[in-house]
Amino acid sequence: MDDTTREAALMDVARTKISVRGLDFYYRGYHALKNVNLDIPERTITSVIGPSGCGKSTLLRVFNRIYSAYAGLVATGQVLLDGENILDYHYSLNRLRTRVGMVFQKGVPFPLSIYENVAYGLRHHFKLPRVQLDERIEHALHEAALWSEVKDKLHTSALSLSGGQQQRLCIARAVALRPQVLLLDEPTSALDPIATGRIEQLLNDLRNDYTIVIVTHNMQQAARISSYTAYMFLGEMIEFGVTADLFTRPQRRQTEDYITGRFG
Amino acid sequence: MLRATGFFYQRRRAVDLFAKVLGIAATVFGLFWLAWILLVTLNNGIHALAPAIFTQSTPPPGGEGGLANALFGSLEMSILGVLIGAPLGIAAGTYLAEFAERHHTWRESVRFVNDILLSAPSIVLGLFVYTLAVRSVGHFSGWSGGVALGLIVLPVVVRTTDETLRLVPNVMREAALSLGIPRWKVTVQVLYRAAAPGILTGVLLGLARISGETAPLLFTSLNNQYWASSLNAPTASVPVVVFQFAMSPYESWHALAWAGAFIVTVFVLLLSVGARAYLLRNRIEGAG
Repeated sequence: MDDTTREAALMDVARTKISVRGLDFYYRGYHALKNVNLDIPERTITSVIGPSGCGKSTLLRVFNRIYSAYAGLVATGQVLLDGENILDYHYSLNRLRTRVGMVFQKGVPFPLSIYENVAYGLRHHFKLPRVQLDERIEHALHEAALWSEVKDKLHTSALSLSGGQQQRLCIARAVALRPQVLLLDEPTSALDPIATGRIEQLLNDLRNDYTIVIVTHNMQQAARISSYTAYMFLGEMIEFGVTADLFTRPQRRQTEDYITGRFG
Repeated sequence: MLRATGFFYQRRRAVDLFAKVLGIAATVFGLFWLAWILLVTLNNGIHALAPAIFTQSTPPPGGEGGLANALFGSLEMSILGVLIGAPLGIAAGTYLAEFAERHHTWRESVRFVNDILLSAPSIVLGLFVYTLAVRSVGHFSGWSGGVALGLIVLPVVVRTTDETLRLVPNVMREAALSLGIPRWKVTVQVLYRAAAPGILTGVLLGLARISGETAPLLFTSLNNQYWASSLNAPTASVPVVVFQFAMSPYESWHALAWAGAFIVTVFVLLLSVGARAYLLRNRIEGAG
């Protein structure tokens, strides 16, 4: 319980990175998020859990406005990143997405070499000389705990990597831009336990440098790696708190039912 | 061990056998004619092949000669057709798959119209280009032949590009977009690379289709017994020469027609098989 109290104390001082205020989301008329309010603390891991269809992925996809690539999807309310509303029309997508990186359920590398996969975002946003580009790529691959496995084959196709390696490459691709926030949408659900363990270890190593928000189906995973956990159900934010508290002393009956496996 | 010997079991087996026999018979029936056509063409064609076919132009009635001018004309006009049809087709297919999402009805209408163009009789396309590019200019030309062939390539490439791009998983688009890269750049640099085998196959299949087309050329490039001085002049092509020579009473022309048919058949066969093998190999690699 020592950890719990320490984290509870931390919660009071932790700065809020993303502040969600009265967020509603409509998917072609379907009300997918209902008046969601949430404060995500800086430089730690926050999990979002809940049964399928509860809106947890939708919430994540609002944080970098990736939903706006599709017609008929509307978000209203406020999502403040460092106090600025990213849903504001004037907030540039370019700026948002260099600050907020995203990793998806299935690590899909671009059909390029390993090196070019990581270089792709860098080349677009920065005009770096070759030496600096190489450094940034090496650093990103180190951060994603992939460097030692790929350093001798940087210029072979990324499609030759294993599933777990591909997912770490996607993490390297995202962190290469040095974002402040890293969004992960069920990043290990397609991986075996060993590869999952490596990703969790990696996220743990990154927790002090990035604000990490992870959506997961796996409650044990949320309990293992995150400092804070949010529980969502039917588009509503039911409970948010320090992970240890939420799992041992949930405040709401619905949360308790879910984490004890009575439904979901 | 349980043995099923009841009436219903026996009946199911009989129906199954009947359906299988019918299916196999239908397949054999179709393949039989195809094999026959191919065998006759290849057999007669091989006997008619001679070095002169590639070095001499089409002969006057009854004379000896080759198909060099027709082969060159076909090559020119086919390349022109691909150069016209492929870029337009890739652009239109890309628009349909990537940029028309917000206009559902419009997108489906364009797809439908493209399908109509895909199945339009090629002679109609030939007549269309005849009115457009032959009558207005006042003479037949290789250019108009190329344009007519381009109109045949166009819908093939639109469709394959559209379909291949839609096969690229959405998460690849989202991953690239979430790096802050604009949509057009994602399309050109990431999606095209993922879809390249499919798009290239579409272009090759388009080329295979036009290299045997006769009807659209009858009204546009017409024919030419000699080397065409330029694409401004009427231009010979293998399919049209085959058509003309096969209907003639001269033995030597018949032989040349067989040789032409052989060359076009083998070319189309190799192109189709090659394109499909290439696509298949890349699909397997992509899946692995």
